[in-house]
Amino acid sequence: MGQYVTEIKRGGAVAVDDTIQVKGCETRAGSRILEGFRPLFSAEAVERLERAGYGIAGKSAVGEFGLDLLGEFAHGGANLDASGALRGAAAELVAAGGVKGALCVDLNGTPRRAAALSGVDFLKPTYGTVSRYGVIPCACSGEQIGVTAKAAGEVWELLRVIAGHDPKDGTSLPTETYSYNDGKAVAGMRVGLVRELSAAASDAVQARVTDCAGRLRGLGATVDEISLPLSDAARTAWNLLLCAETCNNVSRYDGVKFGYRSPDYRNIDELYVNSRTEGLNFLTKAVILYGSDVLSKGRYFTCYDKALKVRRLVWEQVKALFKDYDALLCPACAETAYRPYDIKDAFKTVFAESLFTAIPNLTGLPAMVSGGVQFFADTLQEGTLLNLAEALEGGSAK
Amino acid sequence: MRYEAVIGLETHVELATQSKIFCSCGGHSTKGEPNTRVCPACAGMPGMLPVTNRRVVELAMRAGILLHCDISRYTTFDKKSYYYPDLPCAYQITQWFHPVCRNGSLEVTTKDGTRTIGIKQIHMEEDAGKLVHDDWTETTLVDFNRTSVPLIEIVSKPDFRTADEVMAYLEKLKTMFRFANISECEEGAMRCDVNISIRPEGTEELGVRTEIKNMSSLSSIRRAIQYETARHLDAVERGTETLVQETRRWDDVKGRTFSMRNKETAADYRYFPDPNLMPILIGEDWIQRVRDTMPASVEEKTAEYQSKGLSEKEIASLTSERSLCDLFDAVTALGREPKDAASWILTECGGLLRKHGQVMGELQIAPGKLSRIMEKVSGNEINRAAGRKVLEAVLYEDAEPDAYCEAHNLSAQGDTDAVRQVVLKVLDSTPNAVRDYLGGKKKAFQALFGGCMKELKGNGDPQVIRALLEEELSKRS
Amino acid sequence: MMTPEGLSALEQLNEMRLTEDERAATLSIFRDMEAHEAALGAIPTDDVEVMVHVMPLTNILRDDVQEQPFTRESLLEGAPEHTDDSWQVPRLVK
Repeated sequence: MGQYVTEIKRGGAVAVDDTIQVKGCETRAGSRILEGFRPLFSAEAVERLERAGYGIAGKSAVGEFGLDLLGEFAHGGANLDASGALRGAAAELVAAGGVKGALCVDLNGTPRRAAALSGVDFLKPTYGTVSRYGVIPCACSGEQIGVTAKAAGEVWELLRVIAGHDPKDGTSLPTETYSYNDGKAVAGMRVGLVRELSAAASDAVQARVTDCAGRLRGLGATVDEISLPLSDAARTAWNLLLCAETCNNVSRYDGVKFGYRSPDYRNIDELYVNSRTEGLNFLTKAVILYGSDVLSKGRYFTCYDKALKVRRLVWEQVKALFKDYDALLCPACAETAYRPYDIKDAFKTVFAESLFTAIPNLTGLPAMVSGGVQFFADTLQEGTLLNLAEALEGGSAK
Repeated sequence: MRYEAVIGLETHVELATQSKIFCSCGGHSTKGEPNTRVCPACAGMPGMLPVTNRRVVELAMRAGILLHCDISRYTTFDKKSYYYPDLPCAYQITQWFHPVCRNGSLEVTTKDGTRTIGIKQIHMEEDAGKLVHDDWTETTLVDFNRTSVPLIEIVSKPDFRTADEVMAYLEKLKTMFRFANISECEEGAMRCDVNISIRPEGTEELGVRTEIKNMSSLSSIRRAIQYETARHLDAVERGTETLVQETRRWDDVKGRTFSMRNKETAADYRYFPDPNLMPILIGEDWIQRVRDTMPASVEEKTAEYQSKGLSEKEIASLTSERSLCDLFDAVTALGREPKDAASWILTECGGLLRKHGQVMGELQIAPGKLSRIMEKVSGNEINRAAGRKVLEAVLYEDAEPDAYCEAHNLSAQGDTDAVRQVVLKVLDSTPNAVRDYLGGKKKAFQALFGGCMKELKGNGDPQVIRALLEEELSKRS
Repeated sequence: MMTPEGLSALEQLNEMRLTEDERAATLSIFRDMEAHEAALGAIPTDDVEVMVHVMPLTNILRDDVQEQPFTRESLLEGAPEHTDDSWQVPRLVK
């Protein structure tokens, strides 16, 4: 799980997903194709942590480019708990108390799912608040660094350090620092329980969501069941954009400049094909092929362009809900445990599970997992998410 | 039946910027050792994000203004995917959906008259790296210095009918762009793709179109157009071959075009909007600012210099290079006379450049230094010959005019009073030689002359010394 | 609908090769996705503008200043094959 030497510094140590660069530290994004790749610079979020006195404990393993469910197809193998169920490496490190927190890239819900399964918190902040400088890129339009930690107070502490404007990221919002102290109090808060997403989860997960709704009412919030009819379309749109953007971003791994090169080639075409065929796993290949197809001449307007338009419709639909609700409540995944499975089923498995996680990636809205359930909030309303999580956790760390 | 050629041009021009289009590495593709103007982004490494260079947008706007284009109010960048070792990320950032300029025109004049060539659009994009094929090791070396150097691509309408028109268009673009500081337009900094088809004169329908890619020398472009037009004519009139729509390359050695591999031409580039680059909105105020800060055109400069009394020849020489105009303007702004400034730049600097095997465009001198030399000469501190000597030292040894004059005792050279003092001193200190000379021994003059030269450390003007010696000796006879 | 020939062309375009098993799995993925695409296609979007960026930033530009903080040696260090000054690949057919 933690791949590198741990050095605990003042302020506590933080793990960093292997899709986030740490200068001089081998960064493989879980892939053979990046074998031996030592970045020449650290991610902005890592720099900010180090400047604030936190130490980098090491890299937490991820599945190849973070594309799988929970890191099960990492180049170094899956991470299993005692019962043989899949666990996310960063979430487990945090749960075990080995680190204060972890920085994880939320590309298709993986760190949210992992947090729900390991019983820790993860907050994916609003797109553009944490610099993506130094992230191994896949789907730049919706991936975002977030924080995994044991409780809302620690999420808050670390997120404040890494968030803020970075001129090296052209999509970084202009705000220099965020306090996240501006959230609504839970008493009087209006929460919408998303019917379509809750109904799609297993009974055990549904029960967890219902239980959470009951506790929120107990804390003085109102909880209404609401409908988000475009949930399913949001999943298709996000996966379509994700595959296309990832296809384009991982085309740079070709055995020429750095990383893995196949020993077996006679000319440039064989060098490319053999290096990529041997260096990438089947899930990445399927993502590339599907992503390439939706961008092709004949399909661009019916697929990619369509997904970009549906993104606006989803955004409008969710924004409209936030006129009446402070937060939305839904599951983070369908099940309470996942078993290892064949990589040939990975694309469909991840697609199915991303129903619960796609909306924040597609729209850039903040989302937080705590207590095994998930909340969405309006743009830049992370404070509301933190207040919710804190109240449910019964803590007052903030 | 008479046929006419229908030719369209895509012209790639490297922009004159300090840094690249999306990262801070040095622009200017021909500078530097291989891979010294490179960062992780240029080498295709993950993690860095593109941030657009404002200067690139403004130079593209400048080109659009010169070519009478509509400047887009909303312009964006897109990604174009294909594999080639000179393209480190396997995608190029370019403009596919919303180019920065559209609908322009340029008038070109050939011996057959003046015609207007339509400009479809101008877009910004990044250049690719360079490949060097090494025959000894059977490998290809990859240099990413040129990667991400900013380009604009000017897409013409298929309005050309002859190679002459194409030549006139490219020459005119070159002059305009150099003069407006848009591009230095050096060898290789302007590259063309040429589209050609033929049709019976007077008809509208286009024939089969072929594209000849990536030519940079004007003579190649001319020969390629002539070759390709003849090939199309042969095919259509004599049935020598069946034309297919395809991309071809020009072989300068064999003097013919040849078909590129199918794989390269069948590529689907899969354009899509770049999520990392936000849209650029261009308002009227920004366009006006670019217009206001645009360097004056050749026509405007010509009128200005005429009013300053320069000759047609001087004006033509100065306006051949933007840098010469800038130097002239700076030197006159420092208070030097326009005629004098033109003469120093064109005659004196020009002469020295020729002596050193350089051309006018290579002239580089701080205006303040040239002005100072001119001031010393016109103020009779030094004579013109000495001024020329100082100028050479400034140009080739990076000397400071005042310090150089002092170090080489040049200040006395043109100052006859100072030389006279030296002459008098020599005459007074060598009475024997004076007596000999006055007694008829003309050889003694050489000794006196030598004495003066020695006092002046060899820097005296011989004619001045001679004249003063004779004058002072005649007073003592 | 994605055909085996179409998939072959996609593999070539993306410089990779699938095994027969992987090909079957991929075709099955494409078939599944076609149903989802159809559902997406049924959503009316005639008057909807594309949304490329979720945050409404514009004119993010930097000044034209050169910086060169990375050395050639460090950039070439991780290259699978390189000379003193360049990356190296098998000779390209000219």
